[in-house]
Amino acid sequence: MPHQEALTVIAPIRPGEVEAAKGVLGTIPDHVDGWDIIPFDKVPRLHFARLAVFDEAKDLTGAAISAQLALMTNVDGPVDAHLNDLVRIASPGLDAVFGACAGYPDESQRTPATRLRFLRRYQRDAAAFYVNRQGRSVDQIQKEESLRREIGKFLDSADFSRHSPETLRKAIREFVGGRPDLKWALEPAEPPGLAWRVRNVLHLVEDTGIALVALPVAILLAPFLLSLLRSHERADVPDTSAASAESIDRLRADEDFWVHNQVIAAGCFKPGLFRQVVTTVILRTTDFACRHIYNRGTLSGLNTLHFARWVGMDDGRRMFFSSNYDGSLESYMNDFIDKAAWGLNAIFSNGDGFPRTSLLFCGGIRDEKAYKRFLPTRQVQSRVWYSAYPHLTTKNIANNAAIRAGLSGQPSADEVRVWLRRFGVGNHLPPSGLIARILDNLPWDRLCRFSK
Amino acid sequence: MSLLEISDIQGIILFNYGRLRSACYLLLQITQPAAARAWLGTLPLLSAQFDNKTADRAVNIAFTPAGLSRLGVSESQMADFAGEFLEGMTGTSHRQRILGDVGDSSPDGWHWGGPRNPQSHVLLMLFGRDDAVLASVLSEHEAALARAGLTTIAKLDTTWLPKQREHFGFRDGVSRTDIEGFHVDAKPENATAPGEFVLGYRNAYGQYTQRPLLSPDQDPLGLLQPAPDDPAKRDLGMNGSYLVFRQLRQHVEAFWKYVDEQAKRMPGPLDPNATVRLASKMIGRWPSGTPLVVAPKADDPARCDENDFFYYRSNDPHGLKCPIGAHIRRANPRDALDPEPGSDRSIEVGKRHRVLRRGRTYGPPVAESMEISDIIAAGDSGRDRGLHFICFNTQIGRQFEFIQHTWLNNPKFDGLYEDDDPLVGDRGGSHGKPGGTFTVQAEPVRRRVSGMPRFTQLLGGGYFFMPGIRAVRFLGSLR
Repeated sequence: MPHQEALTVIAPIRPGEVEAAKGVLGTIPDHVDGWDIIPFDKVPRLHFARLAVFDEAKDLTGAAISAQLALMTNVDGPVDAHLNDLVRIASPGLDAVFGACAGYPDESQRTPATRLRFLRRYQRDAAAFYVNRQGRSVDQIQKEESLRREIGKFLDSADFSRHSPETLRKAIREFVGGRPDLKWALEPAEPPGLAWRVRNVLHLVEDTGIALVALPVAILLAPFLLSLLRSHERADVPDTSAASAESIDRLRADEDFWVHNQVIAAGCFKPGLFRQVVTTVILRTTDFACRHIYNRGTLSGLNTLHFARWVGMDDGRRMFFSSNYDGSLESYMNDFIDKAAWGLNAIFSNGDGFPRTSLLFCGGIRDEKAYKRFLPTRQVQSRVWYSAYPHLTTKNIANNAAIRAGLSGQPSADEVRVWLRRFGVGNHLPPSGLIARILDNLPWDRLCRFSK
Repeated sequence: MSLLEISDIQGIILFNYGRLRSACYLLLQITQPAAARAWLGTLPLLSAQFDNKTADRAVNIAFTPAGLSRLGVSESQMADFAGEFLEGMTGTSHRQRILGDVGDSSPDGWHWGGPRNPQSHVLLMLFGRDDAVLASVLSEHEAALARAGLTTIAKLDTTWLPKQREHFGFRDGVSRTDIEGFHVDAKPENATAPGEFVLGYRNAYGQYTQRPLLSPDQDPLGLLQPAPDDPAKRDLGMNGSYLVFRQLRQHVEAFWKYVDEQAKRMPGPLDPNATVRLASKMIGRWPSGTPLVVAPKADDPARCDENDFFYYRSNDPHGLKCPIGAHIRRANPRDALDPEPGSDRSIEVGKRHRVLRRGRTYGPPVAESMEISDIIAAGDSGRDRGLHFICFNTQIGRQFEFIQHTWLNNPKFDGLYEDDDPLVGDRGGSHGKPGGTFTVQAEPVRRRVSGMPRFTQLLGGGYFFMPGIRAVRFLGSLR
């Protein structure tokens, strides 16, 4: 099975062409049922896609940052093949969308090769990238959903109430085995490819090595670093301004057409060498945690995230965060506050204007009033948005995978009972890894009482 | 923890007025602001500090943003009210979408509160011990309203149904939302911070919810109290709350017809009680009010008042007793949701999404006996009947709207797929995909019904602000 990757292309828009670019993109409600200009539904192996315009802005020194156009996708890797697919399938669309960008080939020069060169030139690596579960391809997600639906109809078709769990499982297996379009499900899903797994282990070894070297130094310097951190945090100036009602309404108008929603937030990094170092370490740690600790469906206690990325922009002056998640923005913000505050504080508190944190993990997002006021001031509107499975939550996807997995192997009687429950409700998620569980269950509230 | 100042809080916020069985709600328009202010200055409002034994009538009042502006609240003071209140229930297409106010529940077809109805400014709530008392309260007020230039846009009547039932035939109002420091008998795991329901107190995050705070010169008569979180300012929100009003028509005949058909079609041995059983599974309580978690096999009317239960902690984590998608499990999941169902943290998180329900039924009962068999036999003859759903909260987005969108209308609630709330759900309209399935978790495997039509239709609604009593006098003193 392929692994999942994130493609980010950010290109400057030529002065004076921002409104035209926005006009081409429209807004999310304009194309809830599909978009002709770049037919994302025809791009193979694509999970999510979106296009956004970052308006002209100023950095913290007052220097101008020009407007930029961003394409973000989540795909079954490798990204190189995906870039080729985009150029092959959507050349007219790419021309229409990126034609407003500096550096896009002139009309006479447009060939698949020049378009590809443009995309590569403005491609940015994510500083950190989260995927709910590595190795689940779009194809697998969609096929396992149809598997669940078909077994569902089978279960509706007769009275199974007197079956024992084992005989019922046998009947389901026979049903699946007798259907040429479902037979594949009797084999377990393949894990991500060997090359990816080797790279992943190497990444684990490398970062663990760095951590082992850095940790003793950090412990030695801890009192110094902590007091430095506290003095920086005390000097922080939280942004208490509010977004206008109009801009909030504009963002809300794009939300809740499906079960999924999306968000982009962009901001400047806090200035100074110390914050730069902290940010670098935190983002590296975040990427590490996403790959090796939070790799079973949750991120810092949050289990509604399909994909997320943190990408540096503007020569390291700014960063944006973007994610695809289940449910409303209100519920997403509440999850941030209620379930994931410590981890998200550590990451986002390096952004300018963030609600005041204390020792990196405490305060910050926990200040509901400040946080819900702050977020809309940093939100960036996604103008085009595509999801290959807008009606499947992370829980649905995980449950469908477990349904398929339960068709093979030799489960115990108890396991069969648990498996059969999955046709009634899919809230029984695989447990997070040990370290993730330890981190999520630390009594953060109590620890944080000492942080002030 | 500060105790609620009950003498300044309007009574309906904290009490149901269970002894005042007759009630009506008037929607009013202010035509002469000065006369309306004078009327407000003398309006006899019942506070939450009343004698339950002797009180035979009650009057409470709430306002729309247009009403507050009409009375003279300035634009800058208005800006600090909740955004949801200022925009209104019908204010944006997004809000209509998440609330499920689409199709035949769309505001365009509402009887009041919609864009095609006259703008209302005031919600006047009148209660009486019986119809005679209510009639006398009403006639007194009608005369005063005419003098104060207040035009009645709509008069919404209520019906007190026998046995505390709602129109489908189930006992309602069993579950009480306990408030810390007010319900002194409340268990800590059930008690919610007062600031979730009354402004000017700490909420479930230990914060004071935003509300208009005035400089002392804006309150020259000194009618308002200092804000507890900013004592230099005068608190216009203190002891007030946001009132959410939704007139829900209930299609009683359609409900029982659907349930009856499906129950008979369900595989399994013939069960004479299958219809009531399936309907009870949808609600999570038996008709008597007894929760399924407490009495999973059959109704046990002796336990009809029982509300002291959880889901995980009461040994029903998988919905085998009370289905995951049952109405009461969605409206108040207790300990059923992340993080870690069954844990204290799960209960704490749940408390951030509670409301105080204070609604009443309206329209004639289908059958006076309120027995299910009589209700099924009678049909509903197409009469308008239902629930004037009313609730109080301080953060409409995190409380009422969250419950409505993330829990009731959500086909994906707690790991489900196509199941929105069987009773009041919008059948997936708010999530872009048809819902209308109801799953009964069971062993060895679930049963389910699908193609469920919508059983409720919204006929009107609005967000109101119910001020503290001092704040009402302050509004009366504006010029």
